[in-house]
Amino acid sequence: MKNNKHPALPGFMAGLEPLSRRGFLRATALTGAAFTAGCAHLMGRRDAPQAIQYRSLQPDEAEVLTRLTEVLLPTQSMGLPSSTQVVPTVQNIDAMAARMPDQTRDLLGLGIWVFDRRPMVSFKFSRFTSLSDDKALAYVNAMQDGPFFERGLMTTLKALVTLNYWRDERTWPGLEYSGPVSELWGIRRLGNAPLPRA
Amino acid sequence: MSMASMPASGLAVIQASDISEKNLSLSADVVVVGSGAGGAVTAYELARRGKKVIVLEAGPYVPSQQFTERFADSLETLYQDHGGQTNASGDLLVLQGACVGGSTVVNGCVCFRTPDFILKDWQQRFGLTDLTSDTLAPYFERVEKNLSIHDNAEYEIARHGQLIRAGANKLGWSVKPLRRNIRQCGLTGHCLSGCKSERKQSMLVTYLPWAAAHGARIYADTRVERVTTEQGRASGVQATVVAHDGTPVASMTVKASQVVVAAGAVQTPLLLQKSQIANRSGQVGKNFACHPSLYVPARYPEPVHAWRGALLGVYIDEFLSPEKGAFVIEDGGSGPVEMTMAAEPGTGKPFMDYMANAKYLAGLVTLIHDHNVGTIHWDGEQKKIDYQLADADFPSMQRALKAAARLHLASGAEEVYVPSSDRRVIRSEADIDPMVDSLENLPQHLRMVSYHPQGSCRMGSDPDTSVVNDKGESHDVPGLYVADASLLPTSIVVNPQVTVYALATRIAEHMAKA
Repeated sequence: MKNNKHPALPGFMAGLEPLSRRGFLRATALTGAAFTAGCAHLMGRRDAPQAIQYRSLQPDEAEVLTRLTEVLLPTQSMGLPSSTQVVPTVQNIDAMAARMPDQTRDLLGLGIWVFDRRPMVSFKFSRFTSLSDDKALAYVNAMQDGPFFERGLMTTLKALVTLNYWRDERTWPGLEYSGPVSELWGIRRLGNAPLPRA
Repeated sequence: MSMASMPASGLAVIQASDISEKNLSLSADVVVVGSGAGGAVTAYELARRGKKVIVLEAGPYVPSQQFTERFADSLETLYQDHGGQTNASGDLLVLQGACVGGSTVVNGCVCFRTPDFILKDWQQRFGLTDLTSDTLAPYFERVEKNLSIHDNAEYEIARHGQLIRAGANKLGWSVKPLRRNIRQCGLTGHCLSGCKSERKQSMLVTYLPWAAAHGARIYADTRVERVTTEQGRASGVQATVVAHDGTPVASMTVKASQVVVAAGAVQTPLLLQKSQIANRSGQVGKNFACHPSLYVPARYPEPVHAWRGALLGVYIDEFLSPEKGAFVIEDGGSGPVEMTMAAEPGTGKPFMDYMANAKYLAGLVTLIHDHNVGTIHWDGEQKKIDYQLADADFPSMQRALKAAARLHLASGAEEVYVPSSDRRVIRSEADIDPMVDSLENLPQHLRMVSYHPQGSCRMGSDPDTSVVNDKGESHDVPGLYVADASLLPTSIVVNPQVTVYALATRIAEHMAKA
């Protein structure tokens, strides 16, 4: 039996679950702190990629995820396809977000919002999208070593980005990963097993 | 029985798209809720005995040829909540199949009989005196034969299994080939995305088509809302047929004098709670065990390509007995998407280095004997899985993790990645204790997965402390049976599918005589 009434979080997004439950109050406190800092409207921000039309992600969200992708996946140094210019990592996230139930989608939005503004508390009023490369990396590492709410949020956003990069088959040759093989190898389907003998 | 006929491939399933009526009224001798390990077996065993059987599955019917062998896609199409079912704190993923065939479609094929010490515990603590290794042997033998269960042959032990076996031998630990329900394994490594070539002997290609051949009717996209009763006896179910976009298509009523609930250890108690039946003991939804596992990756000096070959090859049973820790370790294949989520190797360049070395990674799966401390219940309109690893189980998890690290190192690994949310890398024996002992049993600290949820409607001889008897029948509602992993009074350390098959076979046998 499947409970279709529950707007589930995809598994790799499990870290957002606290936002929907006991951690919600804490998230609210965090975001409140960000606003209390009084600088939300003053933060420098880069424009989201103009050429890309997203189905679900808002420009602010796409901007955060694009920046996070750059920080998490410095592909150039590894000779892998670019995570922002070749593999459409953020568009893949967008496609996933478009399929999410409303409540899950709202939680994702809240998680991205909190993540972007959380450094205002400890990174001199800068939003994540405004941090330099070194500071952005330091912020991600600080979140990963933080208390359970921060660890969960960071683990979730990392998984969201990395999964949506490495699901693209253009990333596989660099790993020597074969991907789907049954048809490639011509593996014959066996069909149904014969009825047992009584 | 010999007149039954069956298509060579595929399954006759009535789906939401096939239904034009707004209200369906059906009748049968038996209605089975769920089409996974328990539901499919009871359906076949009763249908072959001449019972008129209807099977209702909430998930979609996905024929094998539509399996994509892409794990990220498969999570969304074949798994419960699109792969997103978690405990309440969000730090434990509870993976269950949600399609025709249930979890048997997406499992790793690993087969164990119920360990004898577990059965003895059930006999002593729950009065299940008829469930012994001897009395269950005929049921185990039947399902093992029907599902082509066999010890992995040498060609089914991939490179990662060979390395682990050599390491275990070096340590003097007992290591054995895993037993799997598969015919002529294609060695694709894509078990968790469904077996496209129909070699895995899941319910999709075995008991369900066999049940259909004996007249059982199978409905997909059909969510059972309530079990009905008349004069205290089970009388059928009420259900809703739901299109894939979530739109209700039809209401369904099935009249049947026997109802089998086999929707899995999460959904079965929820259905009984919603139906407000069978809970005089107050135990429905209680005693839930997640059977949490860790996937422990490690980097080897030579290419392993953990995605090549059979997904699971060997296991270490050195620590299976309670005196030695009651845990097992299995070698486990993995694709790159899974590897990205298995550990925390660091951010930026360290992570890219980790993934660049993906072909050098091999993994171990740990399974422990956790206590039944969880609860499944409704929280308003939402289900809730309350389960945190018990403090009493944390040392067991640490012991299993230490053993896995030790095994990796003995097998030649250069770096073992602790599956925690912070970065922990073990490079030598000396690192093991400090890295593992400093772990804390806190939310979001370990990256745990539950592949085998169980125990939420436990069986037992005492109606005051259990939900059903040893034949799966409710103590409170005659004609109502439970036939899935929610029956298990304790977690069983090992993969539970064969235990469920055997118990379901036995339950169906008793139902036929009732």
